[in-house]
Parts: sequence; C-alpha cells; structure tokens
Amino acid sequence: MSSISDFRGKRKTYEPPSNDNSEDGFDPEQDGVPDAAKHDAEKEVSTTEDEFGAKDYRSQMILKPDHASRPLWVAPDGHIFLESFSPVYRHAHDFLIAISEPVCRPEHIHEYKLTAYSLYAAVSVGLQTDDIIEYLKRLSKTSIPDGIIEFIRLCTVSYGKAKLVLKHNRYFIESQHPEVIQKLLKDPVISDCRLRQTAETDTDALITEKQQKADKMQFGSKPETAPAAGGETVPAEKEAPAAVPDDITNFYGRLDDDDDEEAAETQTVSFEVQQDRIEVIQKRCIELEYPLLAEYDFRNDSVNPDINIDLKPVAVLRPYQEKSLRKMFGNGRARSGVIVLPCGAGKSLVGVTACCTVRKRALVLCNSGVSVEQWKAQFKMWSTADDSMICRFTSDAKDKPMGCSILITTFNMITHTQKRSWEADQTMQWLKEQEWGIMVLDEVHTIPAKMFRRVLTIVQAHCKLGLTATLVREDDKIADLNFLIGPKLYEANWLELQKNGYIARVQCAEVWCPMAPEFYREYLACRSTKRLLLYAMNPNKFRATQFLIRYHEKRSDKIIVFSDNVFALKHYAIKMNKPYIYGPTSQSERIQILQNFKFNPKVNTIFVSKVADTSFDLPEANVLIQISSHGGSRRQEAQRLGRILRAKKGAIAEEYNAFFYTLVSQDTVEMSFSRKRQRFLVNQGYSYKVITRLAGMDEDRDLLYSGKEEQGQLLQQVLAASDLDADEERVPGEGGRPGTSGGFQRRAGNMGSMSGADDALYMEYRRNIKHPLFKKFRIK
Amino acid sequence: MNISAHDLKTLEVTEVAQTLIQLRIWHEVQLPGGLPGWVLNDVFRKNVRVCMLEGGVSQGLRACTTPDPNQRSVEALDTYSLERWECVLHYMVGSSQQEGIAMDAVRLLLHSGLMKTDGDDPQPVITRQGFQFLLMETGAQVWYLLLQYLDTCHYHGLSQVECLTFLLQLGFSKLGCDYVTDGMSEQQLTFLQHLREFGLVYQRKRSSGRFYPTRLALDLSAGSRRRLAIQSQGFLVVETNYRVYTYGASDLQVALVGLFCEMVYRLPNLSVAILTRDSVRQALRSGITADQIIAFLRMHAHAEMKKQDPLLPGTVVDQIKLWEIERNRFTFAEGVLYNQFLAQADFEMLRNYARDMGCLTWESPEKRVMVVTKEGHDDVKRYWRRYGRGNN
Repeated sequence: MSSISDFRGKRKTYEPPSNDNSEDGFDPEQDGVPDAAKHDAEKEVSTTEDEFGAKDYRSQMILKPDHASRPLWVAPDGHIFLESFSPVYRHAHDFLIAISEPVCRPEHIHEYKLTAYSLYAAVSVGLQTDDIIEYLKRLSKTSIPDGIIEFIRLCTVSYGKAKLVLKHNRYFIESQHPEVIQKLLKDPVISDCRLRQTAETDTDALITEKQQKADKMQFGSKPETAPAAGGETVPAEKEAPAAVPDDITNFYGRLDDDDDEEAAETQTVSFEVQQDRIEVIQKRCIELEYPLLAEYDFRNDSVNPDINIDLKPVAVLRPYQEKSLRKMFGNGRARSGVIVLPCGAGKSLVGVTACCTVRKRALVLCNSGVSVEQWKAQFKMWSTADDSMICRFTSDAKDKPMGCSILITTFNMITHTQKRSWEADQTMQWLKEQEWGIMVLDEVHTIPAKMFRRVLTIVQAHCKLGLTATLVREDDKIADLNFLIGPKLYEANWLELQKNGYIARVQCAEVWCPMAPEFYREYLACRSTKRLLLYAMNPNKFRATQFLIRYHEKRSDKIIVFSDNVFALKHYAIKMNKPYIYGPTSQSERIQILQNFKFNPKVNTIFVSKVADTSFDLPEANVLIQISSHGGSRRQEAQRLGRILRAKKGAIAEEYNAFFYTLVSQDTVEMSFSRKRQRFLVNQGYSYKVITRLAGMDEDRDLLYSGKEEQGQLLQQVLAASDLDADEERVPGEGGRPGTSGGFQRRAGNMGSMSGADDALYMEYRRNIKHPLFKKFRIK
Repeated sequence: MNISAHDLKTLEVTEVAQTLIQLRIWHEVQLPGGLPGWVLNDVFRKNVRVCMLEGGVSQGLRACTTPDPNQRSVEALDTYSLERWECVLHYMVGSSQQEGIAMDAVRLLLHSGLMKTDGDDPQPVITRQGFQFLLMETGAQVWYLLLQYLDTCHYHGLSQVECLTFLLQLGFSKLGCDYVTDGMSEQQLTFLQHLREFGLVYQRKRSSGRFYPTRLALDLSAGSRRRLAIQSQGFLVVETNYRVYTYGASDLQVALVGLFCEMVYRLPNLSVAILTRDSVRQALRSGITADQIIAFLRMHAHAEMKKQDPLLPGTVVDQIKLWEIERNRFTFAEGVLYNQFLAQADFEMLRNYARDMGCLTWESPEKRVMVVTKEGHDDVKRYWRRYGRGNN
C-alpha cells in the first residue's frame, strides 16, 4: 500500500508468479539488470516496531536543532517525507525528483522512495554520489541514517561512470574516470571487443580529450521569461531570506548549475569499440556492475544526414516541458530515457521538440492507428515538417516510406511476425537498414517487454525517448524499461500542473448504484464470468448513466462513456441512441464518429470501449463516465482520466472544469476493484467524492428501467447472453484468450443515428485478419 | 443583513440578560404597564450587599503577601498542568508510560466508567466511554472528570458543597498568582491535593503553604466561548490519500491517533499513519463514533491545514462517515415465524392470506417457512385456526 513500485531483489525473496495477462516471461534476473539494482533499502535495515506496529526509527535518527527550517525526513528504509509548505520546498522537490521515485504527492506532505533505479537515473543525469549525499544531509531535519548513505554509495558508485557514446558514427566507451576504463579494459571480453585501428600502432593508448563547455540547449523559440531554472530561484530567495538555511541555498545553486551546464570543462578518457559487438559489451558491462549509459552526440554525427525540421515560432514550451527536455539534452548530447507527463499535458510537443533538437531521421512508435494520425497532426502543427517529410506506416495508410525523415508507425506493425504484404515487407526492410537518430516511443508503459525487445532488435536507433503518463504496471514490469530504454528523466507533479492551469481541474466521483434486488440475487448465485455482466447491466447503473448524461448534456458538456464490456456498451448505446466505437469498428467509421463528436453540436455523447483508453485525443470532452472497467487496473484509471485532462479554455472561474464519474454497483466486487484502481490517482493528489445518491434522479420519470417489469426483461436478456458477452473486449497486444482466436461470432447491431455503418458486424480477436491489407494478401 | 453598532450593543445586552436569567440571578417579571423587566435574586442581593460592605468572613482565596522564593511563570504552569493532565490520559490509553498516577485518580477513572477492571486482570482497561472521553476537548474532559469527582467525593469524606465552593473561588483567581493555604479547612486541603493530582493547581510541596491555580482550573468557569488557549499547537495533517501525519513527539498524541489509524512510521518529530477501513472499523467497534474522529482531526489540525477551506479533505470526512454507515445496513423488523407446515398447500394458503393482508415479511416456499409482522400475527393466527386446521 505504501509504495507503488517496489523493486525487490528476486534472489532474496520468492514472489509467486503474477497472474497478469501479458504473457511475456521476461525475467530481470536473467537479463540485463546489474546486481546493485537488486538491492532494496527496505530489506536491508533492521526495524524495530513500536507498540502500534509502526516502524520505529526514532532511535536511528537524530533531530537537528534547526529542523523547523529544513524540509524532509529520510527514513532508514529509503522513504523520504517532504513538507510541501516548507520555504525550501522547491529546492528539495527538484532534487528529490532526480534521485527518487515519487510515492504520493498530495497537498501537504509528499512521500518519495529511494530505489536503485531512481539513483541510477540520478547519476545518468549528471549527479555525483557525494553531491547527492551532501545535499540530502543538508535538506534533512535529522541525521541521515548510515544505511541510507551506504545504499546511495552502493547504487551510484559504479553507475554512470562509463558511457557508450556514438560520435562520428563510431562507438566509444567513455568515462571521466580513467580507473574505470582501465578496469573495463582488463576484462577479457571487453578488451576483445575493442576496436584497434592498426595492429602496429600503440594500441593501448587511450583517447584523452577535453570536453569544452557545452552550450546551453535552446528548444525552439524560447520565451525570454523562462531562463534557466537557476535564475528563477533568485527572487524567491529574496522573499524569504531568513527561512532558508544558507547551506541549502548555496548548495542548490551549485547543483542547479551542474545540472544545466554540466561541468564547464571535463577530461574524458575513451576507447573505441566494434560496432557489431555493442550488445555483448553492454551485457558484459552490466555483469561488471558498470552499466553503460547510452548517449548520442548528434551534433557531431556527420554520417547521418540532417533533416530540415524546426519548431514553428508558435510552439512555446511550458516550463515543465522545457525542464524535462533539459534533462534529456543536459550536456549537449541526447540521453535515452523516459519522460513522464500526465495525459493532456503536452507529451507530443515534448516528442516533437526532441525530434527537432536532434534533427536526424526520427521514428515514432505509438499503439494505435488513430494515434498515428494524431502524431502526424502534431508534427504538422508544431514543426515545419510537411507531408513529404512525414510518412505513416500502418495497415491503412499507404505513404511512401523511402527517403522520408519522420516515420510514424505502431508497435504492432514493427513486431508483426506473420507474413506481410510485399510493400510492407519492403518498408520493413528499409526500416531495418536505417540508422535512426531518435526513436520516440509513445505510451511506453503499455508494451510488453518482449515486444519491446523485438523492436530494439529491428530498429537501430541512437537515442530512445519513452513518453508515458503512468509509470505503473499491475505486473510491476516497469523496472525492465529502465534498462531497455533508459532511466526516468523527469516526472511531473499532477497537482502542480493542475494548479497552474496546464491541465484541467477534475472532479472525480464514485457513484454508488445499489444493485437491483433481482440482479443481486442472480449475482450471488452465478459463476464469475456472468457476474461481470450482472453488475455492469445493473438497471440502477443504467439509470444513473442516463441521468448523468442528461444532466451534462443540458450544460452543453461533451461526454465520453467508457465500458470495457461490449455487451453493456452496445446495450447502453443502442437504448440511449448514441454512437459507439469498439474494437471491430472500422478506422474510417471511428474517424467519422470522432469528427462528429468534435464538430456536430447534436452529438454530445459517445460510447467507447477500451480501444479509446490511450491516445484518443478528444480535447473537447470534459465529462467521462465509466460503467465497466478492467478489474483493478490503476493504469487504465489514469489513462481514462487523461482523456479529459487537456486544459479547458475559458473556464478558469469554475472550481472544476471536468468531471470523472465511475459508476459502481454496490456490494459487488466492483467496489473493491474501484478502490484499487483509484490508488494511483489518489497518490497523485486526486480525491474521489463518493456519491451515494444522485439528487433528483428519483424524481426524473423519463429514465428507462424504472419499473420492475422492464428490469425483469433486462435481467432475462442478461441471463440469456452467452459467456462470450460477459467477457471483456480483447484488444490486440494485450494477449488474447488462447483457443478462441479462430472463432467468428456474428452480431447484429445498430450503429446509432449518424454512423451509417452496416448492421452486421464481425467480431474476432486476432489482429492479422482485421487489417484489410493483410486480408488481401492472405487470400493470395 | 447589516448590524449597526447600536444593534450590536443591544445584542450584547440581551445576551448578558439571558445569561443572568439562566444563572437564576435575574428573574423576568412583567412591570406594571406591560413592559418586561428583571428582578434581582433576593439571596444574591443580600450576599452582594454583605460582601460589598465587607461584612462576614471573606469567602475568597487570599493571595500571598510574601513573594514566593520559587516563583512560577505562567508558561511553567501551563506545561505543568498539561503534563499532569496528559499523564492521566496516558494512563487511560495504556501506553508504556504507566508511572505518576495516584490510586485516587485510578479509582476515579474506574468509578466514572472510563475504565474498568476485567475479571482476573488487575490492570484496568479502557471502556467505550473512555474512548469517547479521550477524543473530547481538554476543557470538556476536565469538566467531565470533575463532575464525576463531585459524585464520589463523599468517599473521601468531603462534602459537595465544600468542593463546589472552592472550585468557584478558584474560578475567580488569577493565573500566575499564588494563594495561601492557611485558613483553608481540612476538607478543602484534601480537595486541593486531588486537584493537584490532575494538574488543576500547582503546589511545589505540600508544606509550602501556597499554591498556584493553573489554566485548567481557570477554564472551568471561563465558559465555552472565552476559553483560554490551553490547546497545544495543532499537530495533525490529514491528506486526501488518507494519510495522517502527526507532528511532535508526544506519545499521547500518537497513541490517540493510533486509536483509529494504522501507524506506519515513527520518525523523530513525525509519525505517519493511514486511515484504513479496518482501523476505522476497529475504532467504531470500540465505541468511538465517526463524528468524534472527525471532530478530533479537526480540533488538532496543523496550522498548514487551517489555511485551506474546508479544513479537512471532504472525501476523507465522507469516507469515515460511510464506514460508519456501512455498519448499520441491517434494518430490523419484528415478526413471528411460522414453520413446520405439514403440506405445501397449507403453507401456500396461509402465505397467500398473509400476503393479501400485507403483513408477509419473508417466505421460503422450499422450507415452508414464513415470517409475519407482529401486527398481522393475531389476524393470521386466527385465520389459521379457522381454516388451516379445518383442512386436516
């Protein structure tokens, strides 16, 4: 409960295999995780318990006399508590984000956790072991427990010391510490991989060079008002000079400089390695506890052609977007890593800016055809790229890929293993042969590690940027990303963005719908698959939905209704005569419905299944109603909230400008799911209001299913439905149920007033047949 | 609505009049001519006159004329009194610190029903009332306990009148002043020692011949609105994610929070706890109500919390109440059970009758069991006598 992501040493504890639905059997133990990363501060500390069963650390920490002016506590198990109302808050906050994982960030006191991965990330953005310890000491209200100092040393001492740098299209292993290089070279495997120019020259000489002070990065047209972060702090310090202990401000200034302009002049030692043995070296270095940080010196890359792309003057970066990019391009080179921003906070602009900064051939991977279109639109909106430079590679789009500078495609297209069309094959061939300057991975948390590794073997990219809103997975496989892409570079604070108006202020509510007695009786009696259908189809839930839709349509809001259960989705939509989108809905029809939703004042409500969870950009929507969901998935909850997070214009005056309703049937398993789902958002500072009764609903005579008779009929329908109906929709990439993949199921359906679709739909679970492109070639 | 200065004055006057009437010092009478008027209580008037003319024996406490060589500051008195009071509360919570409480005080706690001894265990344990008591405001706690004390004072050979008189006299004393014990009756001196036990007065030594009243005693007569700030600084931060952070290192405060929270961390100067369904239900089971928990959280809110409105996150307040409500989901209906029908037909006949009469609460045809409301019982019974038996 207390931590989102515990990275546990697999050797020390046995964890039962998680019953997640992603079937990838990737185990970090076997692959690519250095030993130090397996340490867990939580496990390595002796804990005494007080009489209430709490961890009692009072004896291990000594309170400083001036504790009131310092903002945080560091517990011996790596958890850090930070007062957000402290005058030194901002100093501490930036620092903690760099070195630790946020656990929860509500209004007053934030909790962070030091993990091996977070420290690895800290090192990779340029922080030094001693600086981390020193600054932590100064910020803390108490003495720092010895165990923590040791933990930080252990996790950082070997990390980030060696870098894999790509310069002039040659790979070098570089370090500021000659002893590290010497140590690596003593290893037979690595020394074997070393590239020797000519046999007779002095092969042992290392390349020593002085790195000049890197000029500061400029991202697009920068507003004059936003200088480096260091500049911003000056006025604040003047406001409250007494409250902030000197040692903190002094040190903060130093760290900040380090961060931005990384060491004016540093001496580095490097040696060149053979390009085709990179994989071996990386693996060996991890075994040696010196994981290599990948950096791309794109400015000095003369082999790959520059692409002619720049940000448009209209593209103005928000402070947090700039900060995140600064972490990525901190030393004038491009680091690989993950940037975490809430949905609707402008992740695409960060991606576009990164591409414009690198100015090399770029590959954008996203997870659906719709988001491919949206990325293209984003590129055209923010950058000077035009149609000729951007190529979409999807089953529907037939752009000519050869020679383009920006390729946008989906993960599925790349990792597809079955037979492809000739054209697609050609494109893939071309794609494999290219050296990509930057690879942007959208919604990176959704991809199973296995699929991800396949992508990495196919695509040769110098620098990888992962974008996501929620770095949580129910199966805790997030840790893998650290070594597959890179460390987390930046994570934004949701509550702060909300306060500054960058994302919408959302009122979250959980509406309790009492189960109709007849439905509850069946619910108690029947098997688990049917249960889902019973609580989704609870007539009281239907009525609540209808009531909420009416209420918000009167306010001229735009409403999205989510249902994971297709049977419920269709029933609700057809009964209320609203358009709906789900898996089998064709691409053109989806776009048509979305266009209508955007521009047609008569279409204010759409029903969608989980296909719309990620990357359906619907900036107009401000009300979201969730009638059935995927168990207790925290990620889905956050993703769905993201659909309405985009900042709303002109509604500053209202306390809330977006509404997020979750309808749960009372006394069913949905209640506990709902509690679990909310955990992530609650930790981000959101609060859910529980509504037990919707005022005015009982008076509304027009609602459907108010009579017993109607409800009885509905129950009959539900009971008559097959097991297949009771199942949630399966989206490709999430792993289908084995054995059902070949089956066709014929359904009749009415697509609502304006969709104009066929009334017969075919539903099946395998992606390959669904693509018309593939279907065509299959028949041949 | 605007209230002018004049109105304010009038308001104040009526308020004072009300108070005096409640105290039975004034009586409302109708003046000749129909206007309302007030008459001063006779006994009161007589005594006031005696007092003002310095007749009779002085009833008040006498301040010391000689300066105390061990003079106590107001702050020292405050700390002392809080310390003593918390010592009592501590004993109730049963945390590790068990010293420093006299048998008399324990007896009082037992008598007042705040604690009880369970069977063979000589250690008293806290009761439902005890839990509720703990979450009260300090002023209310003092009054509660004193009333209980007055109830039992005859055990110590004290008369209620004597004690009350002394308490009222204390109410007129001044904070930070010392008063002489000379001339006090034996009973009053005993009472003084008991008050000392709870921190209402300070006395360095029994024999020092002087004592200081503390804020706890003065608050007794200060009335609810003018209560002096005896409360320590707010120390609780309640977050929207159900975390409760307790500032300060006081074991008592932590123990109180521990009544309804799950404690997670104890750090110097900070304790971390979480409000969970289980922990709140545990508290509800031991007799604490949701409102008491909420009032406690509100009362001790940290200065940072006080900057926001509402003080506590609405969702947390709602949730605590919901947890309480979810315990009372049963609705009870009295009824009479009919069973052991010999034939299905009999059962159906009687059930149909009861249903038609609208007094059928529940039925189970498989088991031939039905429940009829109490009101309908006579009717159904009569029907069964008349027809049910007849069929057999």
